[in-house]
Amino acid sequence: MALSGWFVLLVALGVIPIVVTSAPITLVLWLGFVVLLAAADLLIAGSPRQVRLSRELPERIRLGETAHSRLLLTNTGSRAVRGLVRDGWQPSAGAHPTRVRVVIPAGERRAIVTALTPFRRGERRAAHVTIRSFGPLRLVSRQATIRLDGAVTVLPPFTSRMHLPSRLARLRELDGVTRVLVRGPGTEFDSLRDYVRGDDVRSIDWRATARRRDVVVRTWRPERDRRVVIVIDSGRTSAARIANEPRIDTAFESALLLAALATRAGDRIDLVIFDRRVRGRVQGATGAELLARMVTTMAPVEPELIEMDWAAVPGLVRSVTSHHALVVLATSIDAPGASHGLLSVLPQLTRKHTVIVSSVTDPEVRAATVNRATRSEIYQAAAAERALLDVTRVAAAIRQLGAEVVTGTPADLPPALADAYIALKAAGRL
Amino acid sequence: MIDSDAASVVTPTVRSVLRRALFWIAMAVVAIGLLLAVVVISRAGGSSIRLSSTNAAPQGAEALATVLADHGVAVTAASSLTNAAAAITNPGETTLLLYDDGAFLTDSQLERAASLAGTVVLVDPSFRQLKATAPELGQAGPVSGALKADCGLTAATKAGSVSGGGFGYRIIDPTVDAITCFGSGDAVFSLIQLHRTAGTFIVLGTTDALTNEFIAHDGNAALALNLLGSQKNLVWYIPTIADVTAASGPTTADLTPSWVIPSLALLAVAGLAGGLWRGRRFGPLIIENLPVTVRASETMQGRARLYEKSSSRLRALDALRIGMIDQLIPIVGLPRVSTVDEVVTSVATITQQPLAQIRRVLVDAAPRSDVELVRLSDELVILEHAVTTAVRPD
Repeated sequence: MALSGWFVLLVALGVIPIVVTSAPITLVLWLGFVVLLAAADLLIAGSPRQVRLSRELPERIRLGETAHSRLLLTNTGSRAVRGLVRDGWQPSAGAHPTRVRVVIPAGERRAIVTALTPFRRGERRAAHVTIRSFGPLRLVSRQATIRLDGAVTVLPPFTSRMHLPSRLARLRELDGVTRVLVRGPGTEFDSLRDYVRGDDVRSIDWRATARRRDVVVRTWRPERDRRVVIVIDSGRTSAARIANEPRIDTAFESALLLAALATRAGDRIDLVIFDRRVRGRVQGATGAELLARMVTTMAPVEPELIEMDWAAVPGLVRSVTSHHALVVLATSIDAPGASHGLLSVLPQLTRKHTVIVSSVTDPEVRAATVNRATRSEIYQAAAAERALLDVTRVAAAIRQLGAEVVTGTPADLPPALADAYIALKAAGRL
Repeated sequence: MIDSDAASVVTPTVRSVLRRALFWIAMAVVAIGLLLAVVVISRAGGSSIRLSSTNAAPQGAEALATVLADHGVAVTAASSLTNAAAAITNPGETTLLLYDDGAFLTDSQLERAASLAGTVVLVDPSFRQLKATAPELGQAGPVSGALKADCGLTAATKAGSVSGGGFGYRIIDPTVDAITCFGSGDAVFSLIQLHRTAGTFIVLGTTDALTNEFIAHDGNAALALNLLGSQKNLVWYIPTIADVTAASGPTTADLTPSWVIPSLALLAVAGLAGGLWRGRRFGPLIIENLPVTVRASETMQGRARLYEKSSSRLRALDALRIGMIDQLIPIVGLPRVSTVDEVVTSVATITQQPLAQIRRVLVDAAPRSDVELVRLSDELVILEHAVTTAVRPD
């Protein structure tokens, strides 16, 4: 049961008869009258317990987009239910409207549409529906909460897909170009075509020219069916926010862009999200299915407050592929001390694979080095320079161990990683 | 599509809430019943006033009144002066016991009460009561212990000795005709009988002797029965609030209109209803795990504050210098592995400034105060600007 504002007003209105009659007994009479009215109202109100619910919901939605949840209310009771319905979604599901007025005559069904605009990745849940059924006087209401689970998986936004067309164009440019270094280990022979002016003379195939009585050049295409293994660090350092985005989200964006690009280039992508145990793994998927599986795997993963177990990573990569692969480690390189684990296992990886370490840099740190107006700002600039120096030292150590380093701000990192991939592919190092 | 059924309703029904609360409701009922029973038994309908003839508690005097009634004395309890006056039909054959512990009576009321009956026993009078009824006597403080009968009064001699707990009195006016009894030394007596024209006036200080608790001790019973049972009638008058005459002038309650109190009560009810209206939650809260929010730049800021707190000026400046030299190396066109000296030399050449000056800014100068730190930092910025403009004139 719940009271309404009208009930309170009605009680307060009793002041008028009390003042007019000036008799204390009026108080008792008025309260009795109000209670009687309220009891009658309560008796006439339809039972919210008799309402059966069902929910229609999209299974997944991309972060930043809006989905609609349809809640169907069937009144199986004998009296009409008129009142207020609250669909209980988690706050981060961004449900709107949260309270809906509804009138359901006996035996009929009504639908309530709630727009969901989640502002956090992962699984957003609804737990129950609360119905308040008012009587005809709207003085009091009967209230019941009915359990009705609902969940929508909110996928990573993949905003970096805007970089995909330009990178795909660059990839196509690799296709069919005559290469300066035709003897590169990775490029594959594609076809022969007539020489046109401007082609590199070194790519002329003399034997074919002799056969055809016309100058013919060899064309090459980038190698295909290479393996790309993306390892995303979901340990504690990935929880840190840079430009209001957790590091892990930037890693997801980069991984998605890289996967979209590499799968079009004909390479095989495997994804592992790991800290001390495997949080998510996508293996053996290609094309559109790959991206769908990747976002579904990524959606519920949140950084854990534990240290990344780098010692297990070589074994993990070995379990994915035993051949040469491009291993992308999406982590953070902040300080020499914190990167000790990464540095100690890199030789094992670089011995067999091509390794890229991608890390997000903080634009705030770079900006802090320039601001030097006050004494505090100078100290801050010094600390920022120190932080950049640490990153530089770790990056140098990683390069010395034979791996590539890609860094960038949250907005720049995904295209930078894609560029690094294209560069490696062009160089035939995959 | 997810459906609900009748079993999905989470809110308990009124019936189930009542059933669950049944045990506690029963416990509350039992507890209240026990409490009421204890109260009823302990009060037993009698009064709780000290020395009341209907109080059976240790401090009451029901035992005395009952024994007197059993022996043919008509005991009448009076709670106001009007009652007492009405009960006395034959003043000559009536004893009036007056015990005004609560000081309800005014002086005039006391005078009237003292003249009501032929025999008046004034128990434990205060200073004011004595002044109004027997100005020739004065108070002499508390008395304790057993007291011996030392006078010719029949009641006293029959008693022999009594519990003296109570108060003693003294005769102020030596010319008065009085019998004094139960002396506790220093001309202090617990019982003084005065002879008046209207009859006998007795002031009795041994209140303990009349109580249920002590009535059976020593000669208490003999004293009390003889003193109070000398006449056919006994009016046991203990003044109460009923004796207080209304004070002059209207009170606040008289001045407020009759609707004010009910209106306030109604508004209080409305306020309570308002609280229930706003306080009723529209269904339970939905639980959500919140992510940790750690800003990555916090470590940098923390380090900056550490530098500042410990005034590590040189360390801070060196960090700025290293950062700047790293930036200058590609600008001046040196290989990445160049030494600091090489950088200093090329910077001096490019900017056409003295070598010592450049070396001081980039390497040697140690800031001794924050002012110097700020100045050196500014010089670094100026130098960087000079190098950049010298290399790229546009």
